[in-house]
Amino acid sequence: MEKAKISGFQLFVLIVLFEMGSALLLSPGSEAKQDAWIAILFGLAGGIIVFFIYYRLYMYYPDLPLTSYLQKIIGKWFGKFIGFLYIVYFIYIASRVLRDFGELLTTTIYNSTPLFVINTLMVVTIIYGIHKGFEVLARVCEIYFGVVYITAIFGMFLITFSGLIHLGNLTPILEDGLKPVIKTFFKTTLTFPFGEMVVFTMLLPFLNDKKKAKIVCLGGMILAGINITITTIVNISVLGVGLFQRSTFPLLSTIGRIQIADFLERLDVLFMLYLIIGGFFKITIFYYAAVAGAADIFQFKNQRKLVFPIGMIILFGSITIASNFAEFIREGTVFVTIFLSWPFQIIIPSILLIIAFFRNRKKKTSPA
Amino acid sequence: MKKWLLVILVLIMSMPILSACWNQKELTDLAFVMALGIDKGEDDLYHVSFQLVNPGNVSTGTTGGGQGLPIAVYKSNGRTITEAARNATKEVSRRLYYAHTNLVVVSEEVARDRTLMLNMLDAFARDPEFRTTTEIVIARDSSAEEIVTTLTILDKLPVTKVTKELKFTEAMKGENMSISIDELIDGIVGNGKDPILNGYQLIGMKEEANKATNLQKTTTDAFLSADGLAVIKDGAMIDWIESKKSRGVIWILNKAKSTDITLKWNGKKNALSIVPIRSKTKVSPVFKNGKPVINIKIENEGWVSEANTPIELMDPKTIEKIEKLTEKAIKKEVQSTVKEVKRLKCDIFGFGDVVHKANPELWKKLKGDWNNNYFADLEVNVKVDSYVRREGVRTNPFWSDINK
Repeated sequence: MEKAKISGFQLFVLIVLFEMGSALLLSPGSEAKQDAWIAILFGLAGGIIVFFIYYRLYMYYPDLPLTSYLQKIIGKWFGKFIGFLYIVYFIYIASRVLRDFGELLTTTIYNSTPLFVINTLMVVTIIYGIHKGFEVLARVCEIYFGVVYITAIFGMFLITFSGLIHLGNLTPILEDGLKPVIKTFFKTTLTFPFGEMVVFTMLLPFLNDKKKAKIVCLGGMILAGINITITTIVNISVLGVGLFQRSTFPLLSTIGRIQIADFLERLDVLFMLYLIIGGFFKITIFYYAAVAGAADIFQFKNQRKLVFPIGMIILFGSITIASNFAEFIREGTVFVTIFLSWPFQIIIPSILLIIAFFRNRKKKTSPA
Repeated sequence: MKKWLLVILVLIMSMPILSACWNQKELTDLAFVMALGIDKGEDDLYHVSFQLVNPGNVSTGTTGGGQGLPIAVYKSNGRTITEAARNATKEVSRRLYYAHTNLVVVSEEVARDRTLMLNMLDAFARDPEFRTTTEIVIARDSSAEEIVTTLTILDKLPVTKVTKELKFTEAMKGENMSISIDELIDGIVGNGKDPILNGYQLIGMKEEANKATNLQKTTTDAFLSADGLAVIKDGAMIDWIESKKSRGVIWILNKAKSTDITLKWNGKKNALSIVPIRSKTKVSPVFKNGKPVINIKIENEGWVSEANTPIELMDPKTIEKIEKLTEKAIKKEVQSTVKEVKRLKCDIFGFGDVVHKANPELWKKLKGDWNNNYFADLEVNVKVDSYVRREGVRTNPFWSDINK
């Protein structure tokens, strides 16, 4: 484990940028049509409940990351095995997010550039960042938080003053009842983006003040959740339900419609910067968790040696996981949700919590 | 030694990144397509005209001095828009760049053909370079190519003439409105509202339109003009709404801002002209016996721009009478438009949408047959509130002082 300490505010901004990263890019919840924003609010509530599982585990083992307390709870070898599975999961998700952002750039502006080149540029930057250590990453995040927020507010102003928002597009609210919303909640919005907080179980030990953990994490999730909800509402009001479902990248379509004073047009590129920053942090955090986890399980004293190899795996993984965009999305909605997200984010931690609960009860009640 | 090696390695590895963008396009290699004209060629092919800008000739202020025309038009054929666009590369010495395309002109023939009309729209939506906020108009009584090749006198680029014209006439006359490809596609897909498109005519001597000599006269031999609205039903154009009736459409769609309303006074025709400057329309449904009834409420505020008869404009009672006359005139016009559109059996006003949002369950039952059945029999009530606030910088017209 690296000897790094981050402050409460740094953890807060890490969580916000992490959650908002790819959720703003593809719109989660679009199956619920114009009620997508309700599905996201449900996802936020569900995510908070799931977060409490992680928090309770953190309270039992405040200085240990997930991979370490896995070993403590279910035994050394079994724990190492599950921990290894988690590392693979983090690497896979990191390469998925990398692929996502590469696809964004390749679809919209860099049509002829090969995906591999774009992904390499991103990975090289991230390798450098992780090589520097977690504290550095947290500080960079603080700076980018300001940048992202200013861009977001600026964008909101532009959209409003372009007269693009038609709140009528959000009606009829709950047209088909709550069922589609709840279905979407279980299928998508619970695990993406809110369930991905599981990666923070690897990072919470870095927090310098344990008492702040609950407030900071919940605050970050709620802020990110509200931002995503507002963005979804804006997307639906500007684009209308049909286009919202047909767009590969709804936020980009919305930004593309801004036309103010005949010269502020086509600001897509400005917002791509914003999305790339979000993507950068998301990939970095998953990547870092994988590195820290691997260093923990395989007992590496200097985890810097692992950064480059894992980076290569993520890079090549991002190219090979799917041959085309359709396969990539299909994999995400079917395979990842059922076989990866639910087990790793919800099922395994719940089981861990139950076992940890009984173990600690036994410790307290058994005499000396 | 090792440090040197590392430095050299880093330098070599950064070379690919510094050698400029993979997707680089030199500005001089690009041909900016300002407008597209889409006609029907032989064998059901698309006959596409590309209006390219000639940047050198735009700024130097030589309007038709014979040397440089601001635009150049190239044409090509193809089974799909993409094929036509790629075939055009055989004629143009540069790469066609669509990010600045501001106008798409579709010929009436193409618009009336459902397959041809719909087949071109996906190409526009899917391409990331093309902007879906581009204006789209239908060429009336001429081919799209003729409209796209026309030179204009006040604006160097004919495209700006068309787009600006639509914007200003929407605000000042209210018989046409800006319609983008996005709105067209949204209208075709949704089933509560059918889209409309503006019609554009090339008036005058069509053969002269694309010559520089056209610009050397103060009144050009041929010029472009917006004319009427086209109703699109099920993805194909079915009919025109003439400009006299199209104002009602724009009013109901809440896009009319300012226009002019001519009133009779004391038996004299064309006696008064009222200009509303702000207008707001609210369309709301009420439900009677399980059937929707649409209430349209139009509110506008304006001033008297012309008084061609002896009239006491300074008397508030007169103003009240004028307001009532204005309301009656607007109501009559809107109602006749609604009747005309109902005859076409196509809901371009969005009444279906309004019903959908207010009562989704009822809409589920009605939406299958909305256009042909329920819309045609829909009860529509129009209520107008006009306010005449001021009379310009003269009090009573001079007519009141003649013969004194």
